[in-house]
Amino acid sequence: MIPLAKLRAAARDALAYVSAQPGVAEAEVFASANGNLTVRLNYTSHIPSNGVEEPKSLESHGLGLRIAFNSPEGLKIGFGSEPTDLSLEGVRRALGKARLGAVLDPEFVSLPKDPSGSHSVKKGQGNSDPAIMRMGATGMVRTGWRMMDRALDVFQSSEDLLNLVGSPERLAGLGLILGGDLVLLQERMAIVSTHMPRVQSDESTLVMSFATAMVEERAAKGSGWSVGNQLSEFDGDSAAEAARNAIRSMDGVRVPGGAYSVILGPQPLTEILEWVLMPGLQLDMFYAGATPFSGKMDRQVASRQLYLYDDGADPGLAASKAITDEGLPTGRTDLIRNGVLSGLLSNHYNYQRMLRDPHGRDKLGVDPVQALQAIAPRNGFRPGAGGGRDFSSPPSIASTNLVVEGQDGLSHEELLRQVGDGVYIGRIWYTYPVNGINAGDFSGTVVGDSYVIRDGKLAEPIRPNTLRMNDNVLRVINSILGIGDTPQATVRWSSGQVTWAPELAVSDFRLEEISEYVEGL
Amino acid sequence: MPPPVTVEILDRMRPNLASLVMERARRLPGMVYCDLRLQVKEEKSAVAENGNAKASGEDYVFDFGVRVIAGARLSAPGYFGRVLGAADTANIEEVVWDGIRQAHQRARTNARLKSQAKGRFSSLGGSLGGTDLAPVAVVQDSVPATYTVDPRGLPLSETVSMAVEGCKAAQGQSGNIAYAAASTSTFLLRELFLSSDGADIDQSFAQTEGFAIVICGSEHGNFEHYDFTGHQRGWEVLTDGYDNGPIMLPNFIDFCSNLGVDAAEVAAAPPLKPPGHDVVVVTNPHFNTLLVHEVVGHPSELDRALKYETAYAGRSWFLKNLEENQLGRQIASPLVSAYSDPLMEGYGSFRYDHEGTPPKRAYIIRDGVLEEFLNNRQTAAVMGVAPNGSARATEASLIPLIRMTNTVFAPGQQDPQDIISEVDSGYYIAGHRTPSIAESRENFRITAVKVYEIKHGQLGQLYRDGGITSDSRDYFMSIDAVGNDLRVNPIPNCGKGQPMQAKRMSNGGPTMRGIARLTGPG
Repeated sequence: MIPLAKLRAAARDALAYVSAQPGVAEAEVFASANGNLTVRLNYTSHIPSNGVEEPKSLESHGLGLRIAFNSPEGLKIGFGSEPTDLSLEGVRRALGKARLGAVLDPEFVSLPKDPSGSHSVKKGQGNSDPAIMRMGATGMVRTGWRMMDRALDVFQSSEDLLNLVGSPERLAGLGLILGGDLVLLQERMAIVSTHMPRVQSDESTLVMSFATAMVEERAAKGSGWSVGNQLSEFDGDSAAEAARNAIRSMDGVRVPGGAYSVILGPQPLTEILEWVLMPGLQLDMFYAGATPFSGKMDRQVASRQLYLYDDGADPGLAASKAITDEGLPTGRTDLIRNGVLSGLLSNHYNYQRMLRDPHGRDKLGVDPVQALQAIAPRNGFRPGAGGGRDFSSPPSIASTNLVVEGQDGLSHEELLRQVGDGVYIGRIWYTYPVNGINAGDFSGTVVGDSYVIRDGKLAEPIRPNTLRMNDNVLRVINSILGIGDTPQATVRWSSGQVTWAPELAVSDFRLEEISEYVEGL
Repeated sequence: MPPPVTVEILDRMRPNLASLVMERARRLPGMVYCDLRLQVKEEKSAVAENGNAKASGEDYVFDFGVRVIAGARLSAPGYFGRVLGAADTANIEEVVWDGIRQAHQRARTNARLKSQAKGRFSSLGGSLGGTDLAPVAVVQDSVPATYTVDPRGLPLSETVSMAVEGCKAAQGQSGNIAYAAASTSTFLLRELFLSSDGADIDQSFAQTEGFAIVICGSEHGNFEHYDFTGHQRGWEVLTDGYDNGPIMLPNFIDFCSNLGVDAAEVAAAPPLKPPGHDVVVVTNPHFNTLLVHEVVGHPSELDRALKYETAYAGRSWFLKNLEENQLGRQIASPLVSAYSDPLMEGYGSFRYDHEGTPPKRAYIIRDGVLEEFLNNRQTAAVMGVAPNGSARATEASLIPLIRMTNTVFAPGQQDPQDIISEVDSGYYIAGHRTPSIAESRENFRITAVKVYEIKHGQLGQLYRDGGITSDSRDYFMSIDAVGNDLRVNPIPNCGKGQPMQAKRMSNGGPTMRGIARLTGPG
């Protein structure tokens, strides 16, 4: 990994060079180095496999420039980047690309300025672990095998499995599967601009694991996952947990379709939030009219029990950053507070254009000038594929730590009692807004870790892939029976963002029974 | 000063890198196999919103990826990928060699730990074996790109004006269109594939793509509508369109205008209130493009079927295990055939996949019978079959996955108009929107842009927010008519892998008729 000091020096030197070039009105330099170390796991007891299937890494570093150029027609804005070269030669190449591609965007006002005007210069290293930054070629492979070993230990020592087959030699015939991955993210960035001329920098690491285990002959699937910043906190238990959950859910039952009181576990809640609800809570979607919340700022949009916020500054939360990829302060944005739409995720470009949008009041439901804190640009990031802070992209809008809380957090047992008879949904898949973000309709299937709830207790497991959800996210957030008191850090496929999701109970959740023919195959 | 990064720089790198992979790498301890993929892409692109230019760029992508299989007792894989820049051109051999060494180190460590696990888990370690690759012909070849207007020679300003004019064309179709955006891109890509077996393949591709989205208001709520167009050709795809056999693409301005017209028409239509029972549905080629992608193509990927994707992209109901599976069984009506063919024209065409395998047409379903999976060399070895050339990565620095190529329902004999006119009561499902597919692809819900009622053989009322849902086998067994109007469309963003790779490919089909349940709002 390129040292942070080198990124800082490169950013400083680049700004000095670029600012002196003809026609440059404003400039921003973003230099970053990213490493993504991923170990994909694939063990199958009944099919030849490698165990650790893909120990791999992807490295990149470079710099990206956002430049506003003077022109007779007005300011033109351009972006250019150059990989692997932090020297002035690299800067010249990036500047050339920015100049060539610059366009006259009538909605561009300026490059980011700290809206508070009292921004302190950040040099953050809070969420960074040197052990992850130093991780070498063999360390990641060993860490991946630690997950595999933990899962195989659980399978091999399981009395439940042994009782099913009679002897250890026959365990493999149960179709035992362990899949998933370990992802280690290494991120370093430095930023400086005409408007914020002192170099700011940040360094962070993230270690995430997601494991899925199956006892395929008994149609059982279990999950386990973990999120943290420190390698020393990672023990591979997510894989063991997945194996335990798979064993626990063997021989599940079918549940007839209908409207049920359900408890959504952390993973289903995360998936519904991230794919269906959150796109509608971004300022760019309000600009486009692509959200069901258009014109509803400060209005009741959900149950009074619901709190939803994004917090990129809390050092106790894994995906926190010292600054955004625009050099602005990270912080907490209350999105839904007591069920009231209270704020939106934003970056600087969308913030400043909404303030000047003649239809801004209609789009938001309040005068944007009266909502400065609600739409403040705390989420301008440049996520690469699978995470990272990508120098080759201009900033978009991305969440950091998305947190769900209830007004009166309930324990797991209290939630079960609240539901009485219903369904516990522990894992879902392929949950998309099937009629567009505006409509809020979603569909997906229940793929594991799910149980019948009877008399306020978890009863028999539900067979995976036998229930399809067909519901509407606006109805769901207005039909909340209770919210758990223990948000769990939950990861999403190919993302460096983290959702802190508790269990959430909802009434009249619509489920459809599917795919009975598969059992006869 | 290092030279600019263009596709030509690979010419001078090729001989030395070939010797690195074919000679030096082979001498590393325990080395079984090594391959190197290196690519340069020269691209131009632009974005417009509400009739104004928002961004444009002319840039290159230069990166490489290495796979090594190594080990003493048991072999295992290791990988390495890195983004490159102009600054790396001077010492490219050193940079690539470092990648090979790291991949080799990972492979050897992986092999050692696999051996240890195999010994430690006496009852479960039996399935842990060496990493074998099914043999393929070792090829040396160069394949040029096909285009009329070279993406490299196109002025960047033309991508901007095309995006702006496309955006205006879409937005101009109705006063109710509150928002429109469009993007254009064109690139020339050159890929090198070098292996320790002696493969030395140099392939180039031209590709041009356009995208548009509109948000249209109505009393029933805002309706968002988007679509892509594109082909493996030069800029002429957007200026002139492309019309050859099953590929019928309008020019970009007409494409955007049509999108705006459709959005306005559908936004004003009432939401579908689906009957709660199965109905006859006639699905059009654009809808079947997504249907074949999700419900035939994906479950035919052998990595899914062999459980590699259990955690994320899912498994396949086609294969429970090596002994119990649907190969050779009737899983669809005898009228249904589907194949994947990289050698036909489309967005997923190539002469060699990213393992250097020369591809062939793979019949996934022939006359309703499951016949073949899409595979790579590793999964082909597990199944004991020949590789069919389906391993592809989005970038050279990423690992090739098993991917659809040009994957379509085969055309039938019937006139599509007859397929509709034979229906006394049913629905016409036109244009794909959003899928939600069960984990092993055994059930689906896919929404459509338009749903028309069919009464007495005629299209009637148009509805919005509709779609169909069914168990996959039931639906395919119900197909009783297949049209002769095969159309092939680009799919630009199929997600798979970790980190997720968004891959381009083609899918398509003719008009088809079957039985399904309609879905509406909610």
